[in-house]
Amino acid sequence: MDTIWLPPALVCYALSAVGFVAGRTANRPRWTDQAVPLLGAAVLFHTLDLVFGALRAGNIPVTNFAQSLSFLAWLTAIVSFVLISRMRMQVLGSFVAPGVLAAVSAAMLLTRRGRLVIPDSLRSAWLPVHVTLAFLGDALFVVAAGVSLAYLVYESRLKAKRPMTPVGQTMPSLEKLDRINYRLLGWGFVMLSLAIVSGALWAEATWGHFWSWEPQESWSLITWLLYAALLESRIAAGWRGRRAAALTLAVFTVLLGSFLSVSLLFPGKHGGSFG
Amino acid sequence: MDEKLLIVGINHRTAPVAVRERLAYGDGEIVATLGRLKDRAPALAETALISTCNRVEIVGVAADPARAIDEATSFLAADREVDAALFAGALYRFEGRDAVHHLFRVGASLDSMVVGEPQILGQLKLSYGYAAEAGTAGLVLHRAFHRAFSVAKRVRKATLIGRGSVSVSSAAVRLAGQIFDTLSDKTVMLMGAGQMAELTARQLHALGAETLLVTSRTFDHAVALARALGGTAVPFESHRPYLKIADIVIGSLSAARPVLEPDDFEAVLRERRYRPIFLIDLGVPRNFDERLNALENVYLYDIDDLGSVVTESVSERAREADKAETIVADALASFMRWMNGLDLVPAIKDIRVSIEQLRDTELGRHRAWLAALEPSERQRIEALTRTLVNKLLHRILAGLRSTGASSPDPAYTAEIARRLLCGELAPEGPALGGTAANLDFEMDLDSDDDEEP
Repeated sequence: MDTIWLPPALVCYALSAVGFVAGRTANRPRWTDQAVPLLGAAVLFHTLDLVFGALRAGNIPVTNFAQSLSFLAWLTAIVSFVLISRMRMQVLGSFVAPGVLAAVSAAMLLTRRGRLVIPDSLRSAWLPVHVTLAFLGDALFVVAAGVSLAYLVYESRLKAKRPMTPVGQTMPSLEKLDRINYRLLGWGFVMLSLAIVSGALWAEATWGHFWSWEPQESWSLITWLLYAALLESRIAAGWRGRRAAALTLAVFTVLLGSFLSVSLLFPGKHGGSFG
Repeated sequence: MDEKLLIVGINHRTAPVAVRERLAYGDGEIVATLGRLKDRAPALAETALISTCNRVEIVGVAADPARAIDEATSFLAADREVDAALFAGALYRFEGRDAVHHLFRVGASLDSMVVGEPQILGQLKLSYGYAAEAGTAGLVLHRAFHRAFSVAKRVRKATLIGRGSVSVSSAAVRLAGQIFDTLSDKTVMLMGAGQMAELTARQLHALGAETLLVTSRTFDHAVALARALGGTAVPFESHRPYLKIADIVIGSLSAARPVLEPDDFEAVLRERRYRPIFLIDLGVPRNFDERLNALENVYLYDIDDLGSVVTESVSERAREADKAETIVADALASFMRWMNGLDLVPAIKDIRVSIEQLRDTELGRHRAWLAALEPSERQRIEALTRTLVNKLLHRILAGLRSTGASSPDPAYTAEIARRLLCGELAPEGPALGGTAANLDFEMDLDSDDDEEP
């Protein structure tokens, strides 16, 4: 199902991941600088892959686990790229780029397992809207988890009196990491809410009921509640910094679990077996 | 003919500040001083003067370095009205290769008191500017200083020599930058008035921290200090509520017991809604209980913590300095090749002239016979002889350049070559000057050792 554009995308992802990680561990700011355009190039190739894939499928290509993974990785890479180039969050690269690389590689290996055709009943304008919102929300949560991980690492170094020595000017402060984490969570929550609403409306239009308690729906509701609680704790109780970062990671593991289990173990309508 | 770069001077390692300050020049005096130096030290063909708080050095070019150094030394003593014996022991003298090496190391901040500090490059540029203004910088100094600048730039780019904090106050400020994104909306609270604490507060203020609260056991001290730093004085008894808004607290009180304890600080944190707070404890005995560091979003650094951050930076800079030395050594080798090439210039000119003359004489001798030839045949013979001479010259000069540049005494090599090839025809050694032929040759040598224009 993949196109000729995926291999070059994969190569660029790999090079940029190496650049980010090696640049940080070996204190080579120039490697990190070179990793940024590489990530951009990877996103570009990946976009071409998805566009051609979509043209071939006739709709947004997320009909099986491999495609979902690839789509999620793509959105995550875009969000990271924007943060890196606009907010000088180079540190994100070393946390996110390897993950994206792993996801795209996995997608490429899994994608050989045949292809699924989207049933006509689901070929509607709701599909790209619902799917993009849901995956964008997930991507924002992935990046928020990366930011939180960076926060926890920096924070523990500071507490242990072994602060990181910044390489170049690319090290964000704890305050900035915390603020970006908050914003990512906020936007992710908005996207997740809209995805749930659009999904419900679509289900109403197709099957005549808003909600059918299938696995993905239940899990979405659970993660929605958890993220709502996370945001509430910050707004109402002022939980921020370390506690917020740790909770972001905890909720993210639930999200990750639901993504994997729904796709692999309980494939309802969302997992590719369209009932 | 053998011109050499030389440096004579004192620095922070050889002389205490009491001596350095006697010899130091203010920026405004340097151009005039270079003029006087030119008059009083005739052995120096080119001069520049570097004067910073850590060094006073005369950089010069002379054919007789020993004499030039003596002249420069006695000039310094006379000009500053200092007994030469006062600094004679502290004086270092470098000639030729060593002088170039020293100049490059100074520029790369390898000879600085704080290795890697960035100010020295600017100071060196100023010194060069003054020498250019005074008209005392010539071919060699122009080149030497420009090389020193490019070495410094390369060292900055290729090594991490300027990284990390090398003083307690700058370490504290840098840590504040790791916790807070911007200081402009932050409140700094200074408790007590140690010198280091004051310096830290000043630096934070300079970096944008707008609100500064000052508290001290004696309110009058707090008021005076607040006025000096542009802050607000807070009576010590009522400082507690202000902890709610303070983001950076600098402790420098002389107190037998810590003034901040974890038990009551929890309440402060809740009121702050867990906004991060950076506690900088510069007091000995310590002002803030060390258990505070375990509280959420509290970062406590005492004087030893900051000291170890500094030590780490210093040792990292030392490691990076090794890399920088290699860069300096490379640049030095290429500069010396150029310097040595300079010594060959007069000889090369003579050889060229003498061989051209040889051709002219021979052609002249056969003038009558040549005149009888067809014009096309005559042209051919002229072209043939010219090509022959040029090929011969090229081979000789290329050989001379390559052996001369690597020989320990290029002037001697050049002299031998001249004797061999010029014989009686050699005109007496022309002075090294800016003739067109010379400049051509310099450009030639330039091209192989310059990466950065």
